[in-house]
Amino acid sequence: MGKINLTALRVRQTALGQFASGKTSKLPQWVDVIGEIPPAEALIRTRPPQHQLVQQRMKTVAGSSKPQVVFQVQEKRRAPKKASRLFQPVELKYEEDQLRTEFFRDHPWELARPRLLLETTGKDFEHYDWSRIQQPGKRLDGESVVQRQLWLLNNVPEMTKTNAYDIARREFYRLRLKEDVERRVAVEEAEAYGAEFGPSYLDIGMKLEDVQYNKWVEWARQSAQVQDQRQAALAGAPELADEKATTEPTAETDEAEATQ
Amino acid sequence: MTSMKYSTDLNIQVDNLVDVHGLKGFVHESKQRVALEASGIRQARQKFKRTCPQYPPRQTHLQFSLTKMIVRKVCMRQSRQLLALSRRAPISSRFQSTLTETPVETLQTPPTESITESIKPENPLTEMVQAQSAADTAQDSALDTRRSKFHKLGTKVKTAYHPEDVLRNPPKPSQVTLELLLASGTHMGHSTSRWNPQNSRYIFGIREGVHMISLDQTAAYLRRAAKVVEEVAARGGLILFAGTRDGQKRAVVKAAELAKGYHIFERWIPGSLTNGQQILGHCETRVVNALDQELPDFKQDLADRPSLKPDLVVCLNPLENAVLLHECGVNNVPTIGIIDTDADPTRVTYPIPSNDDSLRATHLIAGVLGRAGEAGQLRRMKMAEAGQTTYKPITAAELRLDPFTGLNLSDLAKK
Repeated sequence: MGKINLTALRVRQTALGQFASGKTSKLPQWVDVIGEIPPAEALIRTRPPQHQLVQQRMKTVAGSSKPQVVFQVQEKRRAPKKASRLFQPVELKYEEDQLRTEFFRDHPWELARPRLLLETTGKDFEHYDWSRIQQPGKRLDGESVVQRQLWLLNNVPEMTKTNAYDIARREFYRLRLKEDVERRVAVEEAEAYGAEFGPSYLDIGMKLEDVQYNKWVEWARQSAQVQDQRQAALAGAPELADEKATTEPTAETDEAEATQ
Repeated sequence: MTSMKYSTDLNIQVDNLVDVHGLKGFVHESKQRVALEASGIRQARQKFKRTCPQYPPRQTHLQFSLTKMIVRKVCMRQSRQLLALSRRAPISSRFQSTLTETPVETLQTPPTESITESIKPENPLTEMVQAQSAADTAQDSALDTRRSKFHKLGTKVKTAYHPEDVLRNPPKPSQVTLELLLASGTHMGHSTSRWNPQNSRYIFGIREGVHMISLDQTAAYLRRAAKVVEEVAARGGLILFAGTRDGQKRAVVKAAELAKGYHIFERWIPGSLTNGQQILGHCETRVVNALDQELPDFKQDLADRPSLKPDLVVCLNPLENAVLLHECGVNNVPTIGIIDTDADPTRVTYPIPSNDDSLRATHLIAGVLGRAGEAGQLRRMKMAEAGQTTYKPITAAELRLDPFTGLNLSDLAKK
């Protein structure tokens, strides 16, 4: 227990040994295959890639008129790692992570929209150009804003994070509004051609509410009647209460006639 | 039922539309093409028979089948469960795992109408019935043509993702790209708390508390494993593909079919290697020549031989198949396995660091290995046609047993 089992990695040595000692009369076919393509060193620890957060900006450096691309690397921690943490993988960080959290914190309902996660070839990114927010074959969503903001930060000189956020957001809002208008126009057009979409959600809600109100009216009438009877019984005219209970509708109509 | 009815109605409508536009004759064309292809295959077969009539049977190698084990399990242990199960639709015989050979593609000639026309029955009743059946078949064929026309209509979405693609047409090892691996999700490992530190080599980083497997490591190890499969197949080795998780069945069968190997998609019966005589003793074994043609003369010599062992085992889920890998270690069989971040990489000879929980990822890897095996088999057959082998063939004398003593003739001669 606790030991590393190297049986699988040493099949070739075992086979050669068994053949040499006469345990097997024939070498297996795969001996030379494994000799040519040896198994990789599985157990040698290597230092995992040390990822750093890199930021790309366009800045005008003193002494030159044109803005230049400047890369900023997040500062390393001053204290070195503990020896036991030396071979542990490092957290992957990208600049857009922060932009993403910010956007979805401000627009939490964007997360409720359906989103396509599948890719066929994995090369969809080759068709995207984030100098504009709309992309062919990609639905406009929160990720578009994040990528657009990142592009602005990376490529526009003297761009600040809030400024980029505002620009990307404005483009996003305008396109969303346009989508809404398009949808409404499509509905109106369809209705003009005779389409029926059935009751809207508001109508359905109002109908359900009406049902509940009617139920309440029924219940209120009955409970008022019961209360009246009790009061009449207490007042000392039980026969009147009985009579009223049995001939309720007629008494009501009589009263109505009398008032008229 | 309603939906079916709806669809047939739609077909009829579409058919009318198509006829209006004068697109008839498509079906006839396609039938002719099929017939041409069929005749081509037949010619190629005859040519093959002419060129290599009988390969010398002295050069032989053994093949065996790890079959019937699963069915045995089903029959003996789970008959009650089977009875309780509802009946399923008939499955292709390849998935029964009792098949002893890879299915040969047979050309199915459609029932010709000339036969039904030539028969003249005297009984008017049978005549009526036959007329009715002929009308039914005519209706069916009309429905088929309508359906095929309907499926040809409309636009083709090229960028759409078809999950079946990786099963139907798996990529070759040379076609594996990092983008493909990324799209297949091979980089997703397990939660950092579940990692096996022996896998730290393959891990690229941590994202949202999950280990990410390095894509270039996956690609490199996958190519290495594919090379091993190809070489073993080229040497006529027996390759066993094992994937016992739900949904891996088709990928495993497809890979075995391509590599002319064997497959397990249900439980590995413990002892199939270490106690093979008991568990696999009744399985069929055959002697084939270098062109994979069976040599029935050697049937009686195979009676008391120990059950054969695979030369390479490909395991898609090593975590569940610890017993299989242990038996491979005991019997000194090299193994290839998909190692997720929570698996032990020393269990297998050739690990492929990848996500083993995503079916798309395992389908891709199984398909790539299957394609590699296919390339190896192709190479072997080509060499065999030229009269060469990549392995040292065993002679007939080595295989023959003395009918009285049951001992090997060549061993006796040595003594």
